[in-house]
Amino acid sequence: MSRAVSDRVRTEADVIRCGAKTACQDGGVGINRQVRRSWDLLYLLTFRELKLRYQDTIFGFLWSLIRPLLQGAVMFVVLRKFIRINVEDYHLVLLAGLFPWTWFQTSLLLAVGSFAGNGALIKKVYFPRFVLPLATVLNNGVQYALSIPVLVILLVIGGYAPNWTWIIGIPYLLLVEAVLIMGIVLFIASLDVYFRDLEHLTDVFVGLIWFYLTPVIYPLSIVPEKYHNWVLLNPMASLIEGWRSLFLHNQLPGAEMAPALIFAVAIAALGSLSFNKMQGGFADAL
Amino acid sequence: MRSEIGGDIAIQFENVSKHYSLSLQKEATDIKSMLLHLPRFLSNARRPFVALDQVNLRVRRGESLGIIGPNGSGKSTTLRVMSGITPPTSGKVTINGRVSAMLELGSGFHPQITGRENAILNAVLLGLTLREARAILPRIIEFSELGDFIDQPMRTYSSGMFFRLGFSVAVHVDPEVLLIDEVLAVGDAQFQSKCMDHIHRLRANGVTMVLVTHDMLNLPKFCDRGILIEHGRITDEGTPAQVVHNYLARVEALLALRPAEQQELKVAQVATS
Repeated sequence: MSRAVSDRVRTEADVIRCGAKTACQDGGVGINRQVRRSWDLLYLLTFRELKLRYQDTIFGFLWSLIRPLLQGAVMFVVLRKFIRINVEDYHLVLLAGLFPWTWFQTSLLLAVGSFAGNGALIKKVYFPRFVLPLATVLNNGVQYALSIPVLVILLVIGGYAPNWTWIIGIPYLLLVEAVLIMGIVLFIASLDVYFRDLEHLTDVFVGLIWFYLTPVIYPLSIVPEKYHNWVLLNPMASLIEGWRSLFLHNQLPGAEMAPALIFAVAIAALGSLSFNKMQGGFADAL
Repeated sequence: MRSEIGGDIAIQFENVSKHYSLSLQKEATDIKSMLLHLPRFLSNARRPFVALDQVNLRVRRGESLGIIGPNGSGKSTTLRVMSGITPPTSGKVTINGRVSAMLELGSGFHPQITGRENAILNAVLLGLTLREARAILPRIIEFSELGDFIDQPMRTYSSGMFFRLGFSVAVHVDPEVLLIDEVLAVGDAQFQSKCMDHIHRLRANGVTMVLVTHDMLNLPKFCDRGILIEHGRITDEGTPAQVVHNYLARVEALLALRPAEQQELKVAQVATS
């Protein structure tokens, strides 16, 4: 076949796949078809997860809002009332950071095992496997996006008015955070196939260490100046602060977003590279 | 990269080998057992298991190939390599045409969602786009004969219903190359014969098929050609009836021997392979 296209070329082994009806009649269609299918799968899996999570529950989707709100309420009482953290509108500062953080943390915890936990499927069907962790990220992203209106209502009650900067800022930060999370989960989910310790490691590292080192339950402004540069080395710090300044100060993300941006691009590249490198062995290792 | 094979070839294996590394298996994957068995762990670290050994194979477009062989001989590995689930360790695999693999029916079906939703997702997993899957759904549902159950969560299905839906999806994704691993005996007799009819219809429509089966009696009905795989190598090839006959004759001869002689024969076979 003169119009054959190759999927992947390895040093020793060579695999050439060519869809005669689709790929070969028009060089580009085969690739487009794969992209189309990947999107379709992402869409189907994302909404299947959303549906499954709240199926047969009384509160259904409300659980997505109840959980972070309750967590926020408890933290507010403990930190503002008991420890008396001195921050103006602390409940808004807290929720503006906690909601996007929850997207990050939940995605990582749920997606790290998405290849290792789907061995049966990976061993029996050939499909674009990267959709498995990415669907989890999108599913949690949808939940975060739906919690934004709740935050907006609380902001309005607190005397903040919606601003035009939000129209640009929200999609921009959603995109940066999505790329960042997807890069991380592609990397850790691929590695997790070979080192299952990663599931526990992720749980410990993200929940116990990364969470406290990121300005989620406190704003960056109360951290002593001399530590600022260290804190901001953390890409999640600039991202969470970015969300906060957008909602509380109507500030569009600028240069201070650099760590998150650079990290997002780098980890996305690393994630896709390592996924491509490792995915061939998934079916054998699982 | 351009393949050099002619347009009438659907699948070509050139010196294809597949090695599994035993170190990947669950023996020493935590620190404690690794340290306890450190010498053995190190020595075992790279012991390969040869699942396919320099296999050369051609399947013509529209041909139906049957693969037989004992358990663990490499039949399923062959199908996995063909489907892309696992890459070969070395050698060259060329596939012309869209592949659908029925290695297991209903892979990815989720018990909590309806048959209809599962059928759509499964069809997209097997190679269709969402639009194509939606277009073909009525035919899938009709073929599966599930009636109103199609809108029930799949946990309410009997295993027969489960496989009927799995089969219906798999044969309706319009493959050009269909790989089948022991999944033809599904449902009741009536549905089975319907499946057989459908497989024959696909064959008549020019779908290339590779079929792995232990059902020696039916092999000649479905295949134009048969091959026998043993220890990762093709050891016999010819008309399905002939290959089955040779294989069964050898198995019977093996069974007729006394246990000690069987053992000797096995040792001899391993030595020669």
